[in-house]
Amino acid sequence: MNLYKYASPTNFYPLAGKLIPWFATPAAILFAVGLFVGFFIAPPDFQQGDAYRIMFIHVPAAWLGMLLYVLMAFYAGIGWAFNARLASMMASSIAITGAMFTFLALVTGAFWGKPTWGTWWVWDARMTSTLILMFLYIGFISLQSSIEDPRRADRAGAVLALVGVINVPIIYFSVQWWNTLHQGATIRILQKPTIHGSMLWSMLIMLAACWLYSVAVVLIRVRCIILEREQNAARFAEVTV
Amino acid sequence: MNWPDLSMGGYGFYVWGSYLFSLFAIVWELVSLSYRKKAQTQEKTSRQVLRGKANETTS
Repeated sequence: MNLYKYASPTNFYPLAGKLIPWFATPAAILFAVGLFVGFFIAPPDFQQGDAYRIMFIHVPAAWLGMLLYVLMAFYAGIGWAFNARLASMMASSIAITGAMFTFLALVTGAFWGKPTWGTWWVWDARMTSTLILMFLYIGFISLQSSIEDPRRADRAGAVLALVGVINVPIIYFSVQWWNTLHQGATIRILQKPTIHGSMLWSMLIMLAACWLYSVAVVLIRVRCIILEREQNAARFAEVTV
Repeated sequence: MNWPDLSMGGYGFYVWGSYLFSLFAIVWELVSLSYRKKAQTQEKTSRQVLRGKANETTS
């Protein structure tokens, strides 16, 4: 099987259509399971009571905000370096979902901050760098939509996306580099987690659900982008003939 | 299985508020995508109709 043929938007379009239900259905099931475990099985926290349950949406949203940005920059870079149209379309498609998750991380973080810290917002390193991530997404989306020629828009977006990648490790390590109000990482790959098993499972299931949801939505959007660009190209051809 | 207390121990506004907000965000994304798809289908149909009319006048 020649996988390179799927680098062409025309060939990828039907494949994406076939893949969408394989991501959307498990996402819906995992959302239901994650929320069930989070609300019905996980016990209240000994310090924060039930307020900690915001974590089941806040942490996956924050992780996906960062992960999707790296993925967006990767695709934008590939599109720029190899003039791969589909990669640039993928970057454009990821941007909106990434921005949505970053916005959710900020809002749910504010909802969690008020009862635990007594304030909705502080100019803390973690929160400020996440806000910058949100502005980078908005900048990428605005820049792309302000340039009419898609190729030029893709190139300009790629520069911004690649420069902005530096912000992702800053967000991740901000709680170690600076003395922040935001708590440190509860889950580390090489260390035993410090939270109850059911809390951890609920969070991981919600993370998987958000990830599958993102893939499904990105595939739906990239199909729209492929069609829009093909229609624009066809219209342009009709006008110039 | 523990039935959750709907008041969330006094934190109901914050917990349900954050989940409601997340639900709105996801619904907004899905609805805006469906509008985008619908607009494309309309554009495609109108282009096909225009092309058909153009063929009729030239033939």
